[in-house]
Amino acid sequence: MIAGSDGLDPVRAALLRAARASADAMRERARADADDTLRSARAAAEEVLARARDLGGSDGAAGAARVRVRALQDAWAVELAARAEVYAALRAAIRAGVRRALEEDTSARVRLAGVARDLLGPGAAVTPLADGGVTAGVPGRRVDLSADALADRALDRLGVRAESLWRPE
Amino acid sequence: MTGGAGIEYTGVRDLRGPLLFVEGVSGVGWDEFATIALDSGGRRHGLVLEVDRDVAVVQVLQGTSGMNRSGTRVVFSGTPLRIPVGTGWLGRVCDGRGEPADGGPPVLGGSYADVGGAPINPVRREPPNEAVLTGVTAVDVLTTLVRGQKLPVFSAAGLPHLELAVQIAAQATCAGEPFAVVFAGMGLTHTDAAFVRDGLAARSAARELVLFLNTADDPVIERLLTPRLALTVAEHLAFAVGRHVLVVMTDMTAYSEALREVSAARGEIPARRAYPGYLYSDLASLYERCGRIRGRPGSVTVLPVLTMPAGDITHPVPDLTGYITEGQIVLSGDVQAAGTYPPVDPLASLSRLMRKGTGAGRTRADHPAVAAQLIAALARSRQVRELADLIGRSALSPTDLRHLDLEDVFRHRFLEQGTTEDRSLGDSLDRAWEVLLTLQRSQLGMLPADLLDAHASPRETAR
Repeated sequence: MIAGSDGLDPVRAALLRAARASADAMRERARADADDTLRSARAAAEEVLARARDLGGSDGAAGAARVRVRALQDAWAVELAARAEVYAALRAAIRAGVRRALEEDTSARVRLAGVARDLLGPGAAVTPLADGGVTAGVPGRRVDLSADALADRALDRLGVRAESLWRPE
Repeated sequence: MTGGAGIEYTGVRDLRGPLLFVEGVSGVGWDEFATIALDSGGRRHGLVLEVDRDVAVVQVLQGTSGMNRSGTRVVFSGTPLRIPVGTGWLGRVCDGRGEPADGGPPVLGGSYADVGGAPINPVRREPPNEAVLTGVTAVDVLTTLVRGQKLPVFSAAGLPHLELAVQIAAQATCAGEPFAVVFAGMGLTHTDAAFVRDGLAARSAARELVLFLNTADDPVIERLLTPRLALTVAEHLAFAVGRHVLVVMTDMTAYSEALREVSAARGEIPARRAYPGYLYSDLASLYERCGRIRGRPGSVTVLPVLTMPAGDITHPVPDLTGYITEGQIVLSGDVQAAGTYPPVDPLASLSRLMRKGTGAGRTRADHPAVAAQLIAALARSRQVRELADLIGRSALSPTDLRHLDLEDVFRHRFLEQGTTEDRSLGDSLDRAWEVLLTLQRSQLGMLPADLLDAHASPRETAR
């Protein structure tokens, strides 16, 4: 069949052109929309990622700081326990030393009895102790001059010098 | 604690509440420290409250429960209670009597100091003039703590005063100068005590903290000793070692209740609400130990925290504290109810020495003017809010409406802060500017024009 031309051809061509132009425009708009959506989605994703990175970073830093503080605390607790142990050992050593000194010095008990009578009066009843020391008493008053009591007082008087156990000069 | 070879007195005549009456004593003086040996082998400590002829009344710090009249021996030290002082306290955790609670040996020191303290010669007092920054915006900008100041926190039951006290203790600094915090907790629950230890762990690990913890189940009498120990340690760290020391004491109401209990046991005539008549001078003997001394490095700054029973600011403890201290930070139940931390009421709070410690060369040049303008604007905002309640928001002028907005911005951008959020002073002041610029320039008459030009946005400047 031979296509004949008629008077509607220009109209048909114009409609086709218009339809194509409209389709092109719509396609362009859709592409632009898609690009925009993609761009904003990418930007949002970047933002979420950055925020997550920041949050993760600060969480991590806070966690690391907590772990560090806990580690420092644990180390300090161990050090304190060691100091307490060595201080207790010093006390035990001083007590043993005083007991030994009282045993070796036979006149010590007599001197301690003299000290007790100086404090309580000549009528004080003096009781010798197995550790080499004495206790003495009058009604209402008593004096403890046992080896352990003497040693503890000596350790108290030592004061800050005892820190040389864990703090080298 | 001090103690030498002494006579043990065994004539215990009576045990009454926290008091022990011992007879047959000689040469014993008032306020002397005593060690009490129990027949069960335990040891307690006490202070001489009174001596009448040969009878001494000893206040037993751990209470007299479980003690017998027979078998109890009392040794008097010959001096008031003295404790070793020195840097050995830093990093240590002790109970309310200063005994180690961290598994360590006794705290040793190169010298001893009387826990009663010695009053600072008024002529040698140096006026406070430098800030202690706490990292808490509401405190740093509006009620700046100044080195050597005593600034209490007035709170009520249920408010987060302990959180705020711990946050300040954890974050406070003195512009890079040697610093330390002495924290005295009195009448704390074990949960609170654990919270304090955890909250201050980093500071403790840095050996910048001394922690005294008297818990609620410890004998109430020990509470009388806790703040005195804290201040004695702080004074040495400040005036001998040269550190700036912040002493946080919480809760002073628990302390005052202990004072009331001892007073009642002694049969003293009660004054207001059964507190002893000397409550004022007793509190002053603690608070007045802060300050700076001419020619000595360091400073002692005191931050007592007290709860107002039933929120009553006229209660003897806050009332008398207010007479002695230099301002107050007031926590408000209304602000807390709005979900804001820290619930500071800016209009009820005040730091009387703030002017001396802020401004150019101390904090930032705009600080005093910004703080004054912010308080003025908030006062206007409160008036406007009351007006709006009466006549309705629609009847307000645009300026009034801006003041309502300012209150919201203040709460959300300025006041609200995390319990571990440490804000720099610059950040805090910038936030204050952000709040102020809610208003038009014409409403900011307390700010110099050059400051406004420097901080206002171009849009605001054009307007």
